[in-house]
Amino acid sequence: MHELLMSPPSWLHALIFFVAGAVLLAIVLGFVTYAILADRKVIGYMQLRIGPNRVGGRFGLLQTVADVLKLLMKEDTIPEKADKSLYVIAPAIAFIPAFAVLAVIPFSAHLQFADIGVGLLYYMSVSGITTIGILTGSWASNNKYALIGGMRAVAQMISYEIPLVMSVIGIILMTGSLNLVDIVMEQQQLAFFIMQPLGFIIFIISGIAELSRTPFDLPEAESELVAGYHTEYSGFRWAFFMLSEYVYMFGMAALTTVLFLGGWLPIPGLGFIPGVIWFSLKFMLVVFFLVWLRATFPRLRADQLMEFAWKVLLPAALANIFITAILKELI
Amino acid sequence: MFGEGLAKGLKYTLKSLAKKEVTYSYPEETLQMPDRFRGIQKFYPEKCIVCNKCVNVCPTDCITLSGKPNPDPDKRGKIIETYDINFEICILCDLCTEVCPTEAVVMTNNFELAEYSRDELYKDLQWLDENDTNIRKENKV
Amino acid sequence: MIRTEEMLLNVGPQHPSTHGVFRIVIKIDGETIVEAKPVVGYLHRGTEKLAEDLEYTQIIPYTDRMDYLSAMTNNYVICHAVETMMGLALPERAEYLRVIVMELGRIASHLVWFGTYLLDIGAMSPFLYAFREREVIINLLNEISGGRLTFNYMRIGGVKWDAPEGWIDKVREFIPYMREQLSGYHDLVSGNEIFTTRVKGVGTYTKEDALSYSLSGANLRCTGVKWDLRKDEPYSIYDRFDFDVPVQQKGDAWSRYRCRMGEIEESLKILEQAVEQFPEGDFAKRPRVIKPPKGETYVRIESPRGEIGCYIASEGKKEPYRLKFRRPSFYNLQILPQLLKGANMANLVAILGAIDIVLGEVDG
Repeated sequence: MHELLMSPPSWLHALIFFVAGAVLLAIVLGFVTYAILADRKVIGYMQLRIGPNRVGGRFGLLQTVADVLKLLMKEDTIPEKADKSLYVIAPAIAFIPAFAVLAVIPFSAHLQFADIGVGLLYYMSVSGITTIGILTGSWASNNKYALIGGMRAVAQMISYEIPLVMSVIGIILMTGSLNLVDIVMEQQQLAFFIMQPLGFIIFIISGIAELSRTPFDLPEAESELVAGYHTEYSGFRWAFFMLSEYVYMFGMAALTTVLFLGGWLPIPGLGFIPGVIWFSLKFMLVVFFLVWLRATFPRLRADQLMEFAWKVLLPAALANIFITAILKELI
Repeated sequence: MFGEGLAKGLKYTLKSLAKKEVTYSYPEETLQMPDRFRGIQKFYPEKCIVCNKCVNVCPTDCITLSGKPNPDPDKRGKIIETYDINFEICILCDLCTEVCPTEAVVMTNNFELAEYSRDELYKDLQWLDENDTNIRKENKV
Repeated sequence: MIRTEEMLLNVGPQHPSTHGVFRIVIKIDGETIVEAKPVVGYLHRGTEKLAEDLEYTQIIPYTDRMDYLSAMTNNYVICHAVETMMGLALPERAEYLRVIVMELGRIASHLVWFGTYLLDIGAMSPFLYAFREREVIINLLNEISGGRLTFNYMRIGGVKWDAPEGWIDKVREFIPYMREQLSGYHDLVSGNEIFTTRVKGVGTYTKEDALSYSLSGANLRCTGVKWDLRKDEPYSIYDRFDFDVPVQQKGDAWSRYRCRMGEIEESLKILEQAVEQFPEGDFAKRPRVIKPPKGETYVRIESPRGEIGCYIASEGKKEPYRLKFRRPSFYNLQILPQLLKGANMANLVAILGAIDIVLGEVDG
């Protein structure tokens, strides 16, 4: 991939890039389909019941496909007084960054789309564009409840991005580079979740809040009073918002694996298993953890969410930076 | 320590992941009701003596019946001609079975009686007589 | 000049968290609720009026449907009222059977409250664990009475029929199983920091407020008033059992949660003792004609939601002249406008859920 990027442009290269991107999109969509099903089934088993088990055989393998087909066949309503162009473009603004950030993630030593020097910074900054999409969507709906819900969701996402970025500064200090491949290589002795435990915890908590999953899922809660930012979106447009959430889950889990769990590096002694398999195993562990949290915890209230981000996580992240810097000087 | 309650909660749900599920696979495996379960009634026309006790005791007045004099000249009394239960208002309370002196009306364990139109919910004598699966064994105290 | 306006919002009759068809019209200013007006009556079925035309045994199936989550206590209150008026004495076994099914119903009702309250707060799983236990209780009650939700089990003068073979042994096995599951719930929920910050300090009221609004049940005991009709005005055979009354001091939603979980534990103690002392004998002594003498009476018992009372005015006939139920959820709901005034809108569901209302009882 690197040689292709460096060589002079030609139509053949463009075709190769296009096909590679399409393959990644297909893999990601396949992941989303089965992640939604796994979410429902694992939560079901934790609640002493089986999840979907009728559509597509005993394990409900075609359940998500059936759901998406239903959403495609729904009527495409646009509210009359809504801002039409913004309304239509908002789901796209929400989804495109979700997919674009996957370009920098190294899936194994040889599988990466773009090995740029500032990979981590690219991820953090592009993922922030989604909040514009959500704000556009809630504004364009011309619905006061959607607007309030959208503002709450955006406030939550912005507040939690700050601890998210600051918690990885400890890793950057230890590695000396923003390049994701370098960060993975640095973990050959010991993975970063052992060397930076506080940073790991802060990253996981902020990541869950960024994804709007329980216990931070106020934007999507049905039993709270004000409906969310996607109230007026029905059918496939709503599916786009949900899709962007699950693709972000893919991205966040992949990023966690790369930053803290050692990427594609094997546990010492089992090096004969290819790196992609190790990556997938660690990735699935992170996704399982996210689902496990969703099954167990209640939801935080809106003001408690904000308080928690600014009063607890941010000072902890700052403390982490200082401690890392001091320890790096002393050791 | 902060987080201890959260950790205990996580351990509980993880342990439940390994436990066997408590749900039934419904249309294939149905829930077996105990003998005393109050489902729709079964009526034995030959046992009924048209005493009207069930009509009087029904809290919602859903039973209507009519009798005619016994065609057999040796026997006295009446025999039942029509017996209707309006299942839309029957609350399956079992008082009719409790007062019937001859156990002509007894409950069964059938409760899956959804229909597509309201006409079918007005059960007449013939339907109640043919409803003879899962009849309750213990009917009177 | 910026002008702010209060918004009128309707938490409509159909809503996932209002425990039935219940409507609140709230006026909000930003995030704070300025005024709240509950609107009830969507489930009114005219039980008290219908009762003027029905004999007492016929009224019993109707009482099942008032507080449908704990139907046994409703059955009991009307039987107790008529028996007090007629001066009937019940056989021992009937009293014990009544106490056992009422305490099982109490546990079942508190389990529903636990599951749905946590579902409103956002945790999905405790609902299913609570209903797994409730399924065991409902199956037990199904075996003895023939119904899963509406039992129609008690009669004037006793109960309808005796416990089947082996039923008492099943109850005896249930008690340690439920104790173990209860400690599991405490592990899962009571220590959970998210739950406690969500629930502590929310919906607080003082002892004087509680007494002046005539709250009862756990809503009263959470403020420090130790009042439980099973101990203070014992009816049936409750004076033979040794149990505590859990009382908390703070008066907020967390105290109510602790009270109700404590009550499940106490009910298990009562069940243990009742199953030990279970005598042989008749299960009913039903009079042939039920005609209470002319006069009126009011009796009250402790239901899971509070104090349920039954007032009967009789003219000496087989039907009552006037029958009135003092239904606890209706009275407990009266404090809601005061609790909501000035509260954060996000706490609405937490406050409403902690009062534990059942709409069948509020509307009657």
